[in-house]
Amino acid sequence: MNQFVLQQGHSPELELFPHIVELGAKKNSAIQLNSFPESATDTIRIYYVNDGKFEWHIHGHSCLLYPGDVALILPGQSFGSQKGFLEIGSLSWMHIAIGKLDNGKMVPGKWSSLSESESMTIGKILLLNNSGVLSKLNEAGRILQYIQGELFNQQIGYCTRVNQLIDELLIIITRQLTRQSNPARDFPKAFMQLEQTLRQNLSHQWTVEEMAAIVGMGTTLFNEKVKNYSGFSPINYLINIRISEAIKLLKKEDISLTDIALDTGFYSSQHFSTTFKKLTGYTPSEFRKNHLRNN
Amino acid sequence: MKCIITIELGTNAVRVFAFDLKGNVIGSMKGHYHTFHTGPDYSEQDPEQIFITMLYVLKNLLNEVIHPKKYEVASICFSASMHSVLAVDKNGVPLGNAITWADNRAKKEAQELKGSPGAKKIYTATGTPIHPMSPLLKIAWIKNNNRERFALTSKFLSIKSYIIQQLTGEYLIDYSLASATGLLNIHTIKWETGALDFAGIQPDMLPDLVPVFASAGKLKKAYQNSLNLPADTKIIVGSSDGCLATLGAGIWSEGKATITIEDSGAVRVVGKKVLQDEKQRFFNYLLTEDCYVSGGPTNNGGIIFEWFTKQFGDFKNPFDEEQSMEELIAEASKVPAGSDGLLFLPYLLGERAPIWNANARGVYFGLNIKHERRHFIRATIEGILYEIYSIGKILEEHRSIHSLSINGSFASIPFCTQIIADIFNKPVSLRADYHSVGVGAFLLSATEMGIYKSLDEAAKTIELPDTYLPGENNHAAYSSYFSIFEKLSTKLSDEFEAIATLQQKSAESTENDKVVSKMKLT
Repeated sequence: MNQFVLQQGHSPELELFPHIVELGAKKNSAIQLNSFPESATDTIRIYYVNDGKFEWHIHGHSCLLYPGDVALILPGQSFGSQKGFLEIGSLSWMHIAIGKLDNGKMVPGKWSSLSESESMTIGKILLLNNSGVLSKLNEAGRILQYIQGELFNQQIGYCTRVNQLIDELLIIITRQLTRQSNPARDFPKAFMQLEQTLRQNLSHQWTVEEMAAIVGMGTTLFNEKVKNYSGFSPINYLINIRISEAIKLLKKEDISLTDIALDTGFYSSQHFSTTFKKLTGYTPSEFRKNHLRNN
Repeated sequence: MKCIITIELGTNAVRVFAFDLKGNVIGSMKGHYHTFHTGPDYSEQDPEQIFITMLYVLKNLLNEVIHPKKYEVASICFSASMHSVLAVDKNGVPLGNAITWADNRAKKEAQELKGSPGAKKIYTATGTPIHPMSPLLKIAWIKNNNRERFALTSKFLSIKSYIIQQLTGEYLIDYSLASATGLLNIHTIKWETGALDFAGIQPDMLPDLVPVFASAGKLKKAYQNSLNLPADTKIIVGSSDGCLATLGAGIWSEGKATITIEDSGAVRVVGKKVLQDEKQRFFNYLLTEDCYVSGGPTNNGGIIFEWFTKQFGDFKNPFDEEQSMEELIAEASKVPAGSDGLLFLPYLLGERAPIWNANARGVYFGLNIKHERRHFIRATIEGILYEIYSIGKILEEHRSIHSLSINGSFASIPFCTQIIADIFNKPVSLRADYHSVGVGAFLLSATEMGIYKSLDEAAKTIELPDTYLPGENNHAAYSSYFSIFEKLSTKLSDEFEAIATLQQKSAESTENDKVVSKMKLT
């Protein structure tokens, strides 16, 4: 394999791709001290192991990587070797600058041809998973090689092709992440994990695509499985959780109705009130009054 | 046209059925709710989620089936899983989640009571085996370990009592559910002072005791409106899932027993007298003043085969457990009865009846070099059913059993039903796709309305057409293997304890590692 490092600002190959901060491949045949200290950047870093065995420290976790494995480091996470040096072996990598929104969600930039909702979902899944290592993802290695080939050969259409390949890389990494946390055997368990995730972020405006992605399923199969297992559509199941959390909060005197509405994921107190009344027959304030003077 | 609605508050889901007055199902829907496992032995549910899920499902069934077809709802009858505990404050507001039957946190309290001189008296009076499942011990646990919650508690309810209170404002518990709390004297039908003392509570901290036919009061105005039901819709308190499954199975006379296997399982008989067992191995639950449902429960039913499927099934389609199970069963059916000498003790979740050993663990025994995957499959299924037989066998020490009625998703798999007939050497009847808890609740409501004169008469209307007859050769094979199964289940008790202790330690150290790595991160 060819060894090289392209860096934004230094390498003309990257001029048309401001979002590629660094792209490289390296065959490390000797250990050099202090060659690989821990660092954090504001890019997404993807490292693919071609050969060798690496012991890395990703976001506070020690990880062992073998050939075919990928290390995924999110913006702000620390990454490197605790011993400070890079072990013998070969690897390829890419650092991608990722647009960061105010609410902490990540989305790829304008270069990407992913739709808005798909890139939101990908961002959400990447953020939710913090395992750092994706095992046996040879496809990632191949894509990195293709990107390198496109950049060096610059054949017609290479600009589009490079960006498509980066999209593809993000997609296969996201799919692997969800598959890795769900081996597609135990639906009740996957559903239980989903419920926990929903409850931890109840104020988030969950879409079915995001929920399906968390359990590693396509939306069609997801809808069918959830309906079959829970008796509700995914969105109606989520409404159940929202209303039951809201009931708990209504029974405490010190939280305003607007706060309850927003905390439990309704768009507004109006939306909360309508949904609540439709289901229970009470408006939230009637329900609260009724329960405080109950006995 | 009138109809009867039944609401079953089950382990993982609420199931709502609507029946016409002849007992035909006009519609049914279910809604799942979550179980929280916040600690190793903890199993809790959110009472508000159960309530809102129940309301949502009921409303959907009414709006989509009952109201469009112009049915008039004559009554709504409740049933629920046994042994749940929910503490509420003086305003009726839940103090934390409800503790479900599967929660084992009260191990220490159970041991303490079991070792005390009053234990036998409490079991004899209450009919509930002394086990962490029992609300008696769960309340004692709260008293000992969660003083603040205990001090704030105005009442200890069952989940069903809470749901009914939300709908009508009344705090009630029926004889059946009360008889599964370990707090009720099943002979006098009054709260048992000795048990209350151990739990540290007064009778007024429990809901009011009422017969299963009792009316639970009027629906609150808001629910009359949102459900579009008239004010005089009768709400019947109903019974427990176990008692109603037995009633719905049509087993209501001498010489019969019913076998239910879902995730867990039970073998039950019905009679006018309590089964007094020296070894305290049975439960005795009360349906009406002179009708007891007695039997033994197992932890390790269909859930064990599900475990096996998840580990070793093929899953050609993602998450398609049903398909994978069918394929495994097809493979198992090619192995002769007795699995060519491979035996399985199914105690992955510890065991209740008949060995009552929380430390019991799973064992494959007799493995030789010729055994293949298919032998493991069949042995696993046979092991689950030997365990059911071991309960039936001790019941036969007290009652003679001539025929069996089967229900529950696992037991009603034809392959399993036939093995049950063979192992027991008795004819087995089965109605496929049959919801015995719902039917039991229907029979109860219909009796209350006067359609049947008595529960006996109601139970006799149940037809059980499919009969599986025992095969003699298979029975002989199973009996020889069962005698080894039975010996192993008690012989290994020292080793069960030793391995359970090691497993506990290993689980604790993993838990500690997690805490340490979390601390490093912060």
